[in-house]
Amino acid sequence: MSLSPKLRYVGSRLVTTLLVLLCATILLFGLTLLIPGNPAEVLLGPRATPETVQAYSHAMGLDRPLLQRLLIFLGNVLRGDLGRDVISGRPVLDLVLEVFPYTLTLTLAAIGLAVVLGVPLGCYAATHPGSWFDQVGAVTSVAFIAMPNFVVAVFLVLIFSVWLHWLPVLGVGRGGGWGDAALRLILPALSLALSWIGYIARLLRASLLEVLGEAHIRTARAYGVPERRIVYRNALKLAAIPTVAILGLGVGRLLGGAIFAEIVFARPGLGTLVYDAIAVRNYPVVQATVLVVVGVFTLTNLLTDLSYLWLDPRLGRRLGEGR
Amino acid sequence: MTDFSRRRILGAAATTAILSATGFPFPVLAQQGRTSITLAIGRDIQGLLTPPERIGPIEGNIIRTVCQGLIRFKPGSFEWELSAAKTLTQVSDTEISFELNPGLTFHGGYGEMTADDVKFSFELFAKPTADGKPAGYAKDWASLDHVEVTGKYTGKIMLKSAAPQLWLVVLPDNSGLIISKKAFEAGCYRSDQQPIKVIGTGAYTLAEWVPNQRVVLKANPDWKGEKPAFAEVVLQPVRDPKTAELALRANELQFTPVEPADAAEIEKEKDTKLLRQDSINYVWIGLNVEKPPFDNPKVRQALKLAIDVEQVLAGAYNGTVKPAYALMAPGLLGYWADAPKPKADPAAAKKLLAEAGHPNGFKCTLTLMSKPTYQAIGQIVQALLGEIGVQVDLQVLDAAAYYAVGKGDSGKNLDMALQRFGGKADPAFQTQWFVASQIGTWNWQRWNDPQFDDASAKAASINDKAERNRLYIEAQKRMEQSGAYIWLTHEANIFAFRPWLKPAVLPNGDDMLYDRFTTA
Repeated sequence: MSLSPKLRYVGSRLVTTLLVLLCATILLFGLTLLIPGNPAEVLLGPRATPETVQAYSHAMGLDRPLLQRLLIFLGNVLRGDLGRDVISGRPVLDLVLEVFPYTLTLTLAAIGLAVVLGVPLGCYAATHPGSWFDQVGAVTSVAFIAMPNFVVAVFLVLIFSVWLHWLPVLGVGRGGGWGDAALRLILPALSLALSWIGYIARLLRASLLEVLGEAHIRTARAYGVPERRIVYRNALKLAAIPTVAILGLGVGRLLGGAIFAEIVFARPGLGTLVYDAIAVRNYPVVQATVLVVVGVFTLTNLLTDLSYLWLDPRLGRRLGEGR
Repeated sequence: MTDFSRRRILGAAATTAILSATGFPFPVLAQQGRTSITLAIGRDIQGLLTPPERIGPIEGNIIRTVCQGLIRFKPGSFEWELSAAKTLTQVSDTEISFELNPGLTFHGGYGEMTADDVKFSFELFAKPTADGKPAGYAKDWASLDHVEVTGKYTGKIMLKSAAPQLWLVVLPDNSGLIISKKAFEAGCYRSDQQPIKVIGTGAYTLAEWVPNQRVVLKANPDWKGEKPAFAEVVLQPVRDPKTAELALRANELQFTPVEPADAAEIEKEKDTKLLRQDSINYVWIGLNVEKPPFDNPKVRQALKLAIDVEQVLAGAYNGTVKPAYALMAPGLLGYWADAPKPKADPAAAKKLLAEAGHPNGFKCTLTLMSKPTYQAIGQIVQALLGEIGVQVDLQVLDAAAYYAVGKGDSGKNLDMALQRFGGKADPAFQTQWFVASQIGTWNWQRWNDPQFDDASAKAASINDKAERNRLYIEAQKRMEQSGAYIWLTHEANIFAFRPWLKPAVLPNGDDMLYDRFTTA
């Protein structure tokens, strides 16, 4: 029995994703070993006795051979056991699951904001090339892309929190009101999204201009199809492919960027979790958190790859021809 | 002109009602109530919340607010006053007797505090932890033999030898706090149990800990002492000092430590006050006396003469701290008032270098921790030593890597290190790191001086204050003669807060008395 080309494509992407995850896990394990500093000594501080350091090293498994530690780590990951936090003794999975929703919310809010603002800007610029809006948009977009996120964050806080007192700075809110939580999401999400708004707008403009020059669009125009319909129903879907690809990578970058946003805005999340863990060489937490980020990143890339089948029907046809 | 039509007013009222119902906070309109204060802490709680196993001052400050000791520090000083104890008397060098105030009840229904709880709390330091490890702060009670319970409220603390530092470093501090034996045995104080329970008899209870978000302390309704000024103290982990400063300016925080270099700028803000305390910590540049060319006393002396400490402090701390001339800070027992106050003299330094066989200087490395202030110190020192031909490479490391670099055999390769240790009220705490047995651990200068070791050991084991003072000054003279220590500063603690708040901080700057924060 032979599988359909689309299923084979999905299968091959899945295998690649699993391989990437395995390589990333091994690489991650190796990298944590290269970081200087004895985790037990860092954890216990200046007043630790050699006996305490030794006992902690044993508890963290640092006295075992490297290969054994790697195999134990991989075996545990496969069983869904990400280890225990060496400081609190709590399962690392619990710690990660506790804060992951905050990071995910922040990342999705930033992506949402970038798409909601970047796509219309890109479309308008592409349909009005050379206009003052297009020219101002180009300069602004490049400025947004070039500005480091932390600088944007500080300016946003200064303007909206310190001077205007409109938006809060710290945390995710207390008391459970969604209004408060949403309000506290605005500044961190905006500081993450701003460069992506510019990026998406520029990218979409360029690819939309290219698609609008293609033969099938000219044919549609010749048949008298309304311009709005041509742009938003025919051209945008094709022009969105590079943007979707970039957004797929962007999820990973935004997850990484969320670390800075969580530190600057004192929000809970994977960023603050890994930041604290690195400072005290809490390896199980560092490894688990980075593994989750790598997992989300590769999964998003897989979904991005699969989305091409829907966005560009020509890909499905090409897979069929190659059979 | 504004149109106040009926429709507009009704619309605005409806919008307000809907937003209020959803928890919309209206930051512009919000008025900061004076029953609750939000204070910044540098990180979240970690580890267990018991006195012997606390990780550091953040946990210690919380336990101190929830639990009582026999005695406690007065705000802003290292003087102590009675707390849970009605009396506390040094009977002999090895015996301290106590009597508890009756009626001190542990919250959460864990009953009245008795002498059994005191015995349990102090002897817990000698017991291995649940994982079989020695407790992190076991050394604090190393001199304890046992606690003898003589009545419901009375007992004797029996020591193996005289331990004067107990009165300043242990009994009024976090290691002297009394926890409930019953609550401990019921699994309280453990951070791996959610919700965490910390049971004490203090002015506040630990009402809530939301990991990575906040710690909420609420006034203890059963507290018999002076009523705390605030019904609620919220501790907000803010890892970035700049964020804390901005949050203070946005009135989301009412109190935060600030970097000395930022103090002048923050002081210009209206509705913000600064508290500046000279600290008892110590920052110095240490030279590895085992490694050439620093094994030559003339080289060490030359470097000391080349570094203009006042210039370093003006650049790195914006002139907010005073120079240090010896290990003990002013005000501490053993403070050496007549310590030499050398003036920088690059010409004399060059001459000494030439005499030591290095007329053209040499190359070396200064290891320091990655913090803006320390990096600024490193750069200024680099420039100053460059003037006498000593080329300094800066090795800037993150905390974990930095703390590893002077340990064990790797410490033999250190040239110079910029170091900073926290001080405590008793000089025994300060001198303990510089003895020969600490080589390869915390004595990164690898300085071995039996006379220093003898003087500090003797001073730590006698109660005669005058003699202790003399011995500690003697010990510091030995340090000075070694030339291995270039003292920079005892630091200053600077805190920014709302003008209506009166904070309560101990002189080391790390220890806070949250229960004694009041309105100005």
